[in-house]
Amino acid sequence: MMQRLWLALVALAAAAVSVLAVALRRGVMRVEVAGESMTPALEPGDFLILRRGAPPLGAEYGHIVALQDPRPEGDGRLLLKRVVGLPGEALRVGGSLQVNGRVLIEPYAHGDTPTEQHRGINRLEPGTYFVLGDHRGGSTDSRDFGPIPRAAIAGHAVLRYWPFERAGLLKPPERRLLGIGPEPTPPTGAQPLQWHPTSPDAGNP
Amino acid sequence: MIRNAIERLIRPAQTGYAHCDLPCGVYDPAQARIEAESIKAVQERYQKADTMKSAAETVEDYRSRCLSIKEERANMVKEHLWVLWTDYFKPPHVEKYPQLHQLFWDATKEAGLSKKSQDPAQGEKLLGLIKQIDTIFWETKKA
Repeated sequence: MMQRLWLALVALAAAAVSVLAVALRRGVMRVEVAGESMTPALEPGDFLILRRGAPPLGAEYGHIVALQDPRPEGDGRLLLKRVVGLPGEALRVGGSLQVNGRVLIEPYAHGDTPTEQHRGINRLEPGTYFVLGDHRGGSTDSRDFGPIPRAAIAGHAVLRYWPFERAGLLKPPERRLLGIGPEPTPPTGAQPLQWHPTSPDAGNP
Repeated sequence: MIRNAIERLIRPAQTGYAHCDLPCGVYDPAQARIEAESIKAVQERYQKADTMKSAAETVEDYRSRCLSIKEERANMVKEHLWVLWTDYFKPPHVEKYPQLHQLFWDATKEAGLSKKSQDPAQGEKLLGLIKQIDTIFWETKKA
């Protein structure tokens, strides 16, 4: 009896998701997750609904976004990464992620950035974002292909609908920086735009 | 079964890759070559088991160890070749080097054969195929 009820609920939910998908087809995209660079937030085999386009301006941080792999060898496939750096910010990616000289608290992230992926950037250009996989020890992301333009973001994740046990909204985390006091301001426009391909220290604003 | 049916029904057509090239962003046919060299060396040692074995083991024991190690190495050669074949080489490479698919097919088959063969000449043949892949690999790196 319980099993029948459960199956009916599952079928109903599946139908609801399908109807929703059809209704919003123009505004959303459905994507199946492959790979483990976004664990534990996303697991291989998760089915997601993404709203098309970049996250709302001013609230981009923490969103999981889908972007076309910008590398020539990437075949233009869709990548899933999290937005961690915003336009105008200075970043250092090493043992931790520093934003404008302050350590970003990232409860969603795990693993260590390999030394060869340590990076720094003085200032992200207007309209560009730094995206990283949550699994810092195993992700190909902005540490490899650099910041991405807003226009490269095909969609941002809003909902996981499969498996049902883990279904729910995918809300971006609150941004918290280590230390007290107001958030430090990014470097001024006079700061040169410079990408540091090796040392995170070089990216200190 | 019903769960699988539902999953099929609602599966998105598009895949999003939470992708990682690491540490496989570093490709090198040398990995396959080194394992293949081990295979050839083991085949040579198998032939000279009576002089190569330690005093504490019999010829049969020594040869058994050779076969076990060779089996492992052959699987490693296959895996390294498959990573190159499926991850590194892209359609433009195949266009430029149309023999690539056949070459990988032959090399992985030869790696499989090395499990059965105790002849160092067979190991040498495997090394030759890997050498051809290596040559193409480094040509693509220069491009």
